[in-house]
Amino acid sequence: MIVNGNNRHSDALLEMESVSVNFPVKRAYPFSKRQWIQAVTDVSLRVSMGETFGIVGESGCGKSTLANAMIGMIRPTSGTVRFQGDDLFSLNRQAFKAARRNMQMVFQDPFSSLNPRFTVYDIIREPLYIRGGVSESDMKGKVLELLNLVGLDEEDLQRYPSDFSGGQRQRIGIARAIILNPSFLVCDEPVSGLDVSVHAQILNLLMEIQQSLNLTYVFISHNLAVVKNICQHMHVMYLGKTMEAGAADSVFSNPLHPYTKALLSAILDIDVSRPRERVLLKGDTPSPIDPPSGCRFWQRCPFAMEGCKTIPAELVNVEPDHHVACHLISGFSSEQKAAGFAQPLSPQHGE
Amino acid sequence: MTDTVLEVRNLKVAFPCPGGVIRAVEGIDLTTKKGECVALVGESGCGKSVTAFSIMKLLRTPPSVSRIDKLQLDGQDLSHLTERDMERIRGKEMAMIFQDAMTALNPVMTVGKQIDEVYRRHGKLGKREARRQTVRALELVGVPEAKSRAKSFPHELSGGMRQRVLIALAFACMPKLIIADEPTTSLDVTIQAQVLDVLKVMQQEHDVSALLITHDLSVVANMADTVYVMYSGKIVERAPMRELFTAPQHPYSLGLLASVPKLSDEKQSFVQIPDTVPHPMHKPSGCYFHPRCSSSSDRCERHMPRLEVGANDRQIRCWHPLHQERET
Repeated sequence: MIVNGNNRHSDALLEMESVSVNFPVKRAYPFSKRQWIQAVTDVSLRVSMGETFGIVGESGCGKSTLANAMIGMIRPTSGTVRFQGDDLFSLNRQAFKAARRNMQMVFQDPFSSLNPRFTVYDIIREPLYIRGGVSESDMKGKVLELLNLVGLDEEDLQRYPSDFSGGQRQRIGIARAIILNPSFLVCDEPVSGLDVSVHAQILNLLMEIQQSLNLTYVFISHNLAVVKNICQHMHVMYLGKTMEAGAADSVFSNPLHPYTKALLSAILDIDVSRPRERVLLKGDTPSPIDPPSGCRFWQRCPFAMEGCKTIPAELVNVEPDHHVACHLISGFSSEQKAAGFAQPLSPQHGE
Repeated sequence: MTDTVLEVRNLKVAFPCPGGVIRAVEGIDLTTKKGECVALVGESGCGKSVTAFSIMKLLRTPPSVSRIDKLQLDGQDLSHLTERDMERIRGKEMAMIFQDAMTALNPVMTVGKQIDEVYRRHGKLGKREARRQTVRALELVGVPEAKSRAKSFPHELSGGMRQRVLIALAFACMPKLIIADEPTTSLDVTIQAQVLDVLKVMQQEHDVSALLITHDLSVVANMADTVYVMYSGKIVERAPMRELFTAPQHPYSLGLLASVPKLSDEKQSFVQIPDTVPHPMHKPSGCYFHPRCSSSSDRCERHMPRLEVGANDRQIRCWHPLHQERET
């Protein structure tokens, strides 16, 4: 099923169709049962040209794995990834490389994503150098141009990453990501490693670059406030599955899934004038090895019913461009109701 | 005053380095009242953790050089105590909750045993009685099946559970003061909400004072009674929590508050403070914040303002304090 509406066929830059990614777990003994981490299960999404697409979830929900699958760094166990209409994993080597040039990534940790032994110049020009076919002077010109764009000086060129603060390093990382003129940029928690006062700087920079270079972003974050401010569409993920998806406006104005509601209420707002009732979730996120049957969220869900334990919740369309995977919304059939599936579980079930 | 639990006067900490001296903390005064939660807010490198470690007297000399005029815990002078005396006080009279539970706990010891240690050392309890107390302490912080969980090693627990163990460990002897150094930074949002709830309930029910060190203003909004804002080794503002959030007087406090993305914000607009925190070895002249400040003048460039005491127990270090109400 395609998630984000039907009228956007033509302008889709990236499409994922029922993508699943499983990783094998190292066996404890040679003949013990092979186990799989189900990092991403059956996720479909469509990113349109020029938009910012948000992916939200807690650690371990598979959002980074999904991002890696998007740009072809991980081959999905099943499902297809189409970039500009081409199936990324059926391209030949040369075509794949060409496609990859168009998709770049900004990483979370600006301390481990830059080679400490490279100067800033080496770091930023490396993608260009690897692609080849550019003269040294052209390269230098291009690097300088980008350096100005991200707000660094020419004299920074010969310095090393260790001379810079976290925010400046992230600027270097952004310059490196856009030097090949990509059309698609995946930002994997680009500000969560930075100081509060620098957050806004980097986010504003990313927005400016998007405007001037006409980029499409996939923005991964656990900060719903940021996602709300910059994204047009979003996916809320939990344990590898999409819980709620759609236009950011409708998800935020009308959150339907209990997990989305819990996430929203868990953001501590600094607005002290209006105290809010908080929904506290019980327990921890279960392990993605052997995830819970039925709806993946039922063990922590305050509204879980009998049927949630066994029947997986499918994404259903609730309003234009807004999809939810929850039995509370989709309801059970009359036979299922007769079997007692709509009975609420006791409030203590999660403990 | 009798209800003052912690009193710190003029704390200075410096680290001599090749190529210069890093003045991490430059004369800080802090007071905590009984049952109060005081937050120390600032960005990384502003000296907030160094302050916490100095209060616990956990900083080694060398490399650090520190001076303090007064360090009192519940009327008792700590500034002249030896390391051996401090060992009796840490854990019993004041305790610390560290940021990263994985490194704060001993990986080769069960968590139960680590909490037992506190009871056996400070409470002088026997093995069995200590374990009984441990299980009770774990139940208090909401660890399910506390009895069997006490036998797990730290790596067998989830991040949220480990942080609960640290809280249980800190509250084991019901100390007078808890110092929490970024207690929830490494946790997920939903888990963070749980852990903060536990911390708040424990602190309020047992009337323990807390010094909360954090960079996260949303945590402050939910926990603290009084807030100190720190910038580059100095306190720039002190105010009751509500007043700071509704009417900050220092431009830096205002900038920090404005730069937190809020759900109620307009789209695509992030208020930013220009530039970055100064390098601790090369701090600017005058007011340390003046290069980033929008209302700075010649005076700010030349002279560091004093910390002025204002109405309602507020303190402010600024030549041009803001007075208007912040629009929300």
